[in-house]
Amino acid sequence: MNETQLIARVIAGDRLAGRTLYDTHAPRVYSLAYRLSGDAEKAREFTQDTFIRAFSRLSQFRGDAAFATWLHRIVVTIVSNARRSEVRFSREVALDEAHSIEVSAPQAEPDLKECIARAVDDLSEAYRTTLIMHDIEGYTHAEIAGILGVPEGTCKSRLSAARAQLRNALAAFKE
Amino acid sequence: MDDNRFDEVIRDLRTFDTPPAPPLDEMWTVIEDAHFNAPVPISRSSGMRSPAPWLAAAAALVIGIGIGRYLPPGKRAVENPASPTAVASANPLSPTETSAVADAYRDQTNRYLGQAAALLISLPAQGAPGTTDATFASKATDLLVTTRLLIDSPAAAQDAKLRSLLEDLELVLVQIARLRTEKNKGDLDLIHQAVEQGDVLSRLNSAVATTQSSE
Repeated sequence: MNETQLIARVIAGDRLAGRTLYDTHAPRVYSLAYRLSGDAEKAREFTQDTFIRAFSRLSQFRGDAAFATWLHRIVVTIVSNARRSEVRFSREVALDEAHSIEVSAPQAEPDLKECIARAVDDLSEAYRTTLIMHDIEGYTHAEIAGILGVPEGTCKSRLSAARAQLRNALAAFKE
Repeated sequence: MDDNRFDEVIRDLRTFDTPPAPPLDEMWTVIEDAHFNAPVPISRSSGMRSPAPWLAAAAALVIGIGIGRYLPPGKRAVENPASPTAVASANPLSPTETSAVADAYRDQTNRYLGQAAALLISLPAQGAPGTTDATFASKATDLLVTTRLLIDSPAAAQDAKLRSLLEDLELVLVQIARLRTEKNKGDLDLIHQAVEQGDVLSRLNSAVATTQSSE
């Protein structure tokens, strides 16, 4: 049974078809959710949300892109929205803490891995997503362009800018 | 940090903090519960009257309005010059509205084809327990309303393949709907034959693929 048939059956309420579709795509969706969120528990929640949302909107799937592309677009959107909320929340908390904590404890010198993780995290959402998808998860520019809904050229320039920023951030690092 | 070292760092990113194995079964339990076990508004218990007729009527109304608006303005006016619809059609739809209606129509057709395919695929073989026959008959009755509306729609008039498929489907659905009565239980074999001879399932799959790719 091909994917179009599976989709038709899921729309009609066939849970076995749903499981088949899920088994095909869930590992990669989970992996991307994990890389983008950096947390196994969150990756699990994001993956669940992705499939629940995808199945409930399956009748709206337009078929002008591959199902995988559509699904990955949903997970990227879910993670981005969650991260935006987290950033907003952490800024509010940071402001609150700034009033009460005047002297912070000295930080230990971070190792390279921590530096990279922080530098990647400090990238803008678009740069970060592009870098993670391309350099870490191995998506092609064409795939990323389809998922993010941008031209391939934009995708390439984002990756280039992300790498440049990462390099600058790591320039001072002494091994 | 020189170029080589930086390239090395980029390569190392792939092996850095690799994702754990996805908890597929645990996640599926949540997904299945949220999507497939969600409360269904239509009760199938034998003691309660199914709300399917009013749902069908509502669906018919929505499709009817959509299809009516989808008609070219001139055609509507000629067919029934005295009707309020004809008067309303004097204001032609904007391209955005036409596209939205066409999208809604496509969605409806797509959903219908998916449901019809699922019904035919899950149709039991001859001699299956009678209780399931009533369920299939009920689903077929619901789908018949939509089938007739789609057959009478201008889109079906423009698409001979779709119209032919809908007409064959209507015949099959009528047969399935008749399974409700005991004396028609032997018809299952005939239904399967009709589906096979008319190549209905593969045409349905092909139609689903076509409507999705045209979106």
